[in-house]
Amino acid sequence: MTGADPIIEINGVSKLFGGFRALDNVSLSVAPGEKVVIIGPSGSGKSTLLRTINKLETISEGSIVVDGHDLYAPGVNINKVRMEVGMVFQSFNLFRHKTALENLTLAPMKLRKISRQDAELKAMELLAKVGITEKANRYPAQLSGGQQQRVAIARALAMNPKIMLFDEPTSALDPEMIGEVLDVMVKLAKEGMTMVVVTHEMGFAREVADRVVFMDEGRIIEQANPRHFFENPNHPRLVQFLKQIL
Amino acid sequence: MHDGKVKITRIEIGDGAAIPSQRDEGLFTAWRIALVLALGTLLYLVITQPEPYWRLLKFLPDGIVVTFKVTISSIALAIVIGLFTGLGRISRIRAINLVASTYVEVVRGIPLLVQLFYLYYALGRFVAVPDMLAAIIAMSFCYGAYMGEVFRAGIESIDKGQTEASMSLGFNRTQTMFFVVLPQAWRTILPPVGNEFIALLKDTSLVSILAVSDLLRRGREFASESFLYFETYTLVALIYLLITLVLSKLVSLMEERLGRYDRR
Repeated sequence: MTGADPIIEINGVSKLFGGFRALDNVSLSVAPGEKVVIIGPSGSGKSTLLRTINKLETISEGSIVVDGHDLYAPGVNINKVRMEVGMVFQSFNLFRHKTALENLTLAPMKLRKISRQDAELKAMELLAKVGITEKANRYPAQLSGGQQQRVAIARALAMNPKIMLFDEPTSALDPEMIGEVLDVMVKLAKEGMTMVVVTHEMGFAREVADRVVFMDEGRIIEQANPRHFFENPNHPRLVQFLKQIL
Repeated sequence: MHDGKVKITRIEIGDGAAIPSQRDEGLFTAWRIALVLALGTLLYLVITQPEPYWRLLKFLPDGIVVTFKVTISSIALAIVIGLFTGLGRISRIRAINLVASTYVEVVRGIPLLVQLFYLYYALGRFVAVPDMLAAIIAMSFCYGAYMGEVFRAGIESIDKGQTEASMSLGFNRTQTMFFVVLPQAWRTILPPVGNEFIALLKDTSLVSILAVSDLLRRGREFASESFLYFETYTLVALIYLLITLVLSKLVSLMEERLGRYDRR
């Protein structure tokens, strides 16, 4: 880890659904520019943990500080924090009534008060970056899953976030489309974006991650740099998990 | 495409005219038979017996205008009431939720005719409300509750992921509702609104008891002078039928267009 102050600080976080502990005393801090990949079996709480970072999930205990803002401090404006934290979903969630371009310009125009002209200029740049300028005026229903997900990444980037969260971004994709989405994410990582990624793509974890985190039953069981993580796993649960998926 | 299919939820509320189904192929559809019969009978009567039918046909249009005036004003007001009621019904604030839900319960439990009487005479005790205005208030008060259910169902039909995506960008709940959810919910909401419009148009015949000169009341006026009850109400019924047949066709065309929207 770098010596810089963490940009995300999760401290002793638990989340209860009734009697079930979806998150059990989880602590994790992420430095600016760091790429953290979270893996684990389904139901291990990895998506829940990711979604607590922009408060799409609330927590029962603990504290979360993002970019200097304590999410649970009285009077904190969560919408302001969310503007700095981009999120990409498993099911893309593009606004279905808007074209690809409009999906990118809506939030910057309404929330950052950028003129339509500037917003569209920036949007076209981002669409070029994810490789779909020619589909700018198509609606989500007219795009393939891979194209939709790339537009969704561009939409999050249009707000100039400091952090990007990815919630299983390739899990809903047909196999032949996974590569195009991962390529965009690799590119983004190389530019120095702070990224927290929940995924099953171990190749991506190996190539991009500074740190891989393994979760099981609501807890972080092991975390290490990818080489150490994949070659010398310690915990028997992790050894078993890696055996199953690799 | 995993996300390619969008289900347009059909909301069945109220009792508008039967909406002709698009699957109803072939020359003989219920809608066409009804239209030909209604139009044929009307023309036959007017041509073969111009007295009294032609005279009636010239007498009634003023009432048709009033019927449409009441219908359009009421539906417009009902849509506004319905929007707020629908939003209230899904509100996370319990007090607002209760007010909206109670309103819907109360309105649905009282017959429209009773509501009309009550509002007219109850209001009349305190303020002199013109007949037409009383009619519009009562109709929209009643239909606002039904419309609220249409809005609620339409809003709830939008995938939660849309809301999450919007919130994750930094939009608050209100912005999310107006920029993301409602523009999409319209497609689900519009067909049943059209349906309610037709139901409301028929129900406006009830306002004839409030001395509003709608189509039915014009008929009554004609009949009570001429004693031609059978002839008058035959024509009145035919005119209502023709209007609702045309409107229901429009609604079904609109429904089809909206369905196509997603396959652009």
